[in-house]
Amino acid sequence: MTDLVRFEQVSLGYARRPLLRDLTFRLAAGDFLGLVGPNGSGKTTVLRGLLGTLAPLDGTIEIASGVSFGYVPQREQIDSRYPLQVLDVVLMGRYHRIGLGRRPSASDRAAAMDALGRVGMAEVAGRHIGGLSGGQKQRALIARALVGDPTVLVLDEPTNGLDLVATTQILGLIRELHEQDRLTVLMVSHALNEVANYVDQIGLLVDGQLRLGPIDEVLTERSLSDLYGIPVEVASFSGHRIVLARGHLRNGADHG
Amino acid sequence: MVELILLFRDALYGSLVIAVTCGLLGVWVVLRRIVFVGAALAQLSSAGIALALLLAGAGLGLGLATEPLTLALALTLLGAVFFGVGSQRQLVPPDATIGVTYAVAGAVGVLLIAKAAAGEAHDLYLHGNILGLTRQDTWLEVVVAVPVLLAHAVFYKEFLFVSFDPETARTQGFRVLRWNLFLYFTIGLVIAFAIQSAGVLVVFNFLVLPAVTGLLVARGMAGTFLVAGVAAAIAVVGGFIMSVPFDLPTGSAIIAVSGLLVMLAWVIRRVRGD
Repeated sequence: MTDLVRFEQVSLGYARRPLLRDLTFRLAAGDFLGLVGPNGSGKTTVLRGLLGTLAPLDGTIEIASGVSFGYVPQREQIDSRYPLQVLDVVLMGRYHRIGLGRRPSASDRAAAMDALGRVGMAEVAGRHIGGLSGGQKQRALIARALVGDPTVLVLDEPTNGLDLVATTQILGLIRELHEQDRLTVLMVSHALNEVANYVDQIGLLVDGQLRLGPIDEVLTERSLSDLYGIPVEVASFSGHRIVLARGHLRNGADHG
Repeated sequence: MVELILLFRDALYGSLVIAVTCGLLGVWVVLRRIVFVGAALAQLSSAGIALALLLAGAGLGLGLATEPLTLALALTLLGAVFFGVGSQRQLVPPDATIGVTYAVAGAVGVLLIAKAAAGEAHDLYLHGNILGLTRQDTWLEVVVAVPVLLAHAVFYKEFLFVSFDPETARTQGFRVLRWNLFLYFTIGLVIAFAIQSAGVLVVFNFLVLPAVTGLLVARGMAGTFLVAGVAAAIAVVGGFIMSVPFDLPTGSAIIAVSGLLVMLAWVIRRVRGD
């Protein structure tokens, strides 16, 4: 498969201090990669390097010609008090194509409506962004990323703060976009159980370095125990992979 | 009463220009949560005026450098650049930086004016004298307001994106720092010209209260700008009607009307229930 992105021994950090070292990985067309790590492990930093908003301190990041990214930021980054309709927010995904000082055209609006349709949100296009549920807001942000016809969909903690139903729906939608539209996806999350059951490849950020590979190779009890510093079990239930941290349970919790 | 108010028609027209311009820009000020940047820039502007008066009073005739407008403009635009760049780096909490600037610039302005020749007479410069606006002042305000508002109309999309979601805007190639600087520059420019006649408190009022009124009542960005502009204009007309015939301070009357409009907007929002 064609490499869309290539990280070669990349160091990333802030104020010239590396947070992540020697990152080497490739993202090929059609990949679905999940980047997982504890809070503060540098997941968002990797995204910034990939998206070109953070220059590498060392190494090279190669982006193949013609590759474009559809970025879905963390939902909390969006200020819902702006008096904007959902359609206005989705249209922002076309702004870079429209040109300096120009307004969105009818075809931009049609593309935005189409993107909303792809995420099942066409009927709420006229609603205020602040009036949406967390899951709906996340879908709107995914639609905004899709409206620019990206080669790679990049999502930062897409299920953060969502309830069980919304989490399942959002991850299902991302998987659907990957399978049906053959969209390359890079998803960053701290929620290991969620990522493990939806992505094809997983990357664990451990002590500033990346361990990357197919799920079965990377998601072992040993590597996860190393990553989180506590004993971890990997179990399987109805075809779902479940990662459990061994801890001090309440009385009777293990007799269910 | 109308004839009495029309005696101050030049001041009324000038105030309307200042109010509507600040009211429209204030939508960004409130949405971006940089309300106190407006206050700090206004204080910097007044400190510039005070410095010019001190230099002039000391006999240091340095041409344009001792003109109140020149120094007010210079300090305000420096402040605009400082806050525009500072909002990207955040070495200390941004609101703390703004608070330090506000307090220090305010105090320096008062200290400088106290040492300026005939300082008390110049006190009006710091507190504003909105009824003293002349036709020439009004035209000067128009010359500043028209290009600023045109720039805002043309680059609305860019200002919206970098204000609403700077991180995503950056990933799309938008130069967020440059757009922020441009936005702060236009706000600083308008404040520097407005402050000499309207004073710190009235300019601060125009930057905040009409925008809050708009955000409470309107359902979209265009409506918010429209309501903010209209609310600013009503505040000026209402303030003149309340103050001129009854010999009350016009600036304070304008602020009182602005406050009433905010309350009215809040009631409308509550009744509407959204």
